[in-house]
Amino acid sequence: MATPTVASRLTRLGDRPLRTRSLWSDAWRSLARNRIAVLGLLIVLLVAFIAAFGPLITPYHPDKQDLDNVKALPSWEHWFGTDQLGRDYFSRILAGARTALIVGATVTFLACGLGILLGAAAAFYGGLTDLLVNRALDFALAFPKLLLASFVNAMAKPPFQNTLDWVAAVTGLKALNDTVMADYVVVLGALGLVLWPSYARLIRGQILSLRERDYVIAAQAVGAKPWRIILRHLVPNALGPIIIAITVGFGEAMLLESSLSYLGIGIQPPGSSWGQMISNSLDQWRYSPHLVAVPGLVLALAVLGFNLLGDGLNDALDPQRRR
Amino acid sequence: MFRYVLLRLLYLIPTVLLVSFFTFAVGFYGPGDPIKVMMKENWNDEKAYQALREKYGFDRPFLVQYADYMVNAAKGDFGRSVLRVMPVRDLMFPALGVTAQLGLLALVSLAVFGIGLGVLAAVKQNTWVDYLIITVSIALQSVPVFVLAPILMIIVVLQLHLMNTPAGWDGILSSKVILPVFLLTGIALLTVVRQTREAVIQARQSDYVRTARAKGLPERLVLWRHILKNALTPVLTTLGLLTGWLLTGSIFIETIFSIPGFGSLYWGALKTRDYPVLIGTTLVVAIIIMLTNLIVDLCYSLLDPRVRVEQ
Repeated sequence: MATPTVASRLTRLGDRPLRTRSLWSDAWRSLARNRIAVLGLLIVLLVAFIAAFGPLITPYHPDKQDLDNVKALPSWEHWFGTDQLGRDYFSRILAGARTALIVGATVTFLACGLGILLGAAAAFYGGLTDLLVNRALDFALAFPKLLLASFVNAMAKPPFQNTLDWVAAVTGLKALNDTVMADYVVVLGALGLVLWPSYARLIRGQILSLRERDYVIAAQAVGAKPWRIILRHLVPNALGPIIIAITVGFGEAMLLESSLSYLGIGIQPPGSSWGQMISNSLDQWRYSPHLVAVPGLVLALAVLGFNLLGDGLNDALDPQRRR
Repeated sequence: MFRYVLLRLLYLIPTVLLVSFFTFAVGFYGPGDPIKVMMKENWNDEKAYQALREKYGFDRPFLVQYADYMVNAAKGDFGRSVLRVMPVRDLMFPALGVTAQLGLLALVSLAVFGIGLGVLAAVKQNTWVDYLIITVSIALQSVPVFVLAPILMIIVVLQLHLMNTPAGWDGILSSKVILPVFLLTGIALLTVVRQTREAVIQARQSDYVRTARAKGLPERLVLWRHILKNALTPVLTTLGLLTGWLLTGSIFIETIFSIPGFGSLYWGALKTRDYPVLIGTTLVVAIIIMLTNLIVDLCYSLLDPRVRVEQ
């Protein structure tokens, strides 16, 4: 068979779609080659697995007290020992994973949703909308995140609890008396309020800069419809940085929740949170170091997983930085 | 330049107003009645309650109280602490002094270690040295301070017997500051290392570095004169932007090491719901951060002639 001419090759290119190397398959291959990032991914998957199926594999109920067996050292019955009330520490760690992941996921969803909405609105409409969103950003960025979250948390908790009690008394809904649920709502709200600005700023910047890119202008010049430009050019190019921000933000949300619980204003007992477990045992670090070290290391490992994955994604999703 | 500074300062005013209004409004409607907190077990005494309300001006409309608070705050008077019966100002400013010393030490240590390690990682790009530096910095940032601190204490105090449990504040020359400063450095190390590394890697690939090498300049001089001089401007300004991180870290570190600084004050007020202190500290932190951001922006344009601002 004769070698195909350039012309025939070109027609063949036009006939059927070539198997191209897409951004995503490239990114995936680059990520899979990065051992540290794979380690991060494994940690993230492990935490997610524990959070989803933890209650099925816990040997004890996380709230069950055994006052004859308090502050026990790790053993075969109690892998991580027991805490000050004789509760199985392993079961509580697993339950804490669920808290951390629920808070991380909900807060990231809230903050990212709000950030995309406001950031995109600011970039598209400009003018007054942009000005207002920017003022709100300036405002939120003037506080350190933890400080703003703890301030809002401390201040919003009592009136929120009172309102809930009042509604519960009027309607007779027992479910509203659940203090753990009230903790969750206040913590989620405060963290969402603190974390949306970074997403909004990212989205706004992305849209503003992508809009000016040559390929977008070229697509406009050949008469591509706006939805086609958005779907084919803007979304794929903006998605990478957003995925990175979500990964790192997820770890940050978990860390902030633990910090709030550590300060004593996050998820309160009987809900279990790693930060709260640390602060409950901190005054005994000399005598029962494992009660501080175990939740501390688990929390650190989980956050580390998200950070390592984010760092790997950062390299993988940016074609210019790929090695 | 002068006009620009003035403009930026004017620009701050709406943000300061928004921040203070928010802080005051949340503090006003949020916590329990401050008078009841003040009266403790006598909270039932209706007459005394009314008298105190009038004495502290809580019977006036919200906006009047806010305006009053802001006028006083501008003069440096942030009201009185509910629990410790003394002006918030007298609690806040000494504490701020302690935290400022701690924070400055941490900034110096961040500049030395962060920039040093960042340059090293960049020069040894993609070798084990690079990976080690990055991974350790990521780990230091991932481990929360309130976990790292007890673990460090277990190692340094219980295992190695290097020092007694450090607690309290004896000025910056005491050995008690070593662990707190180390922990504060660890919180922000990754940011500085990563930025230095990126900047140096980028500068190493630029034309002026190739030119410098081509004319036969020794590698050491290329690094000092050409690479660092250009790469470090953004890094130096980043250091200024870390104020917020250091203040957040001080909440944990000062309470763990019993340092009577701003973080301890804030945490104490948070626990006891001492709302005049909370409002005052939150407001002051926000203003400090806005001012440092402004100063950093101005320094940036002074240091780097390429970003001189168009007016």
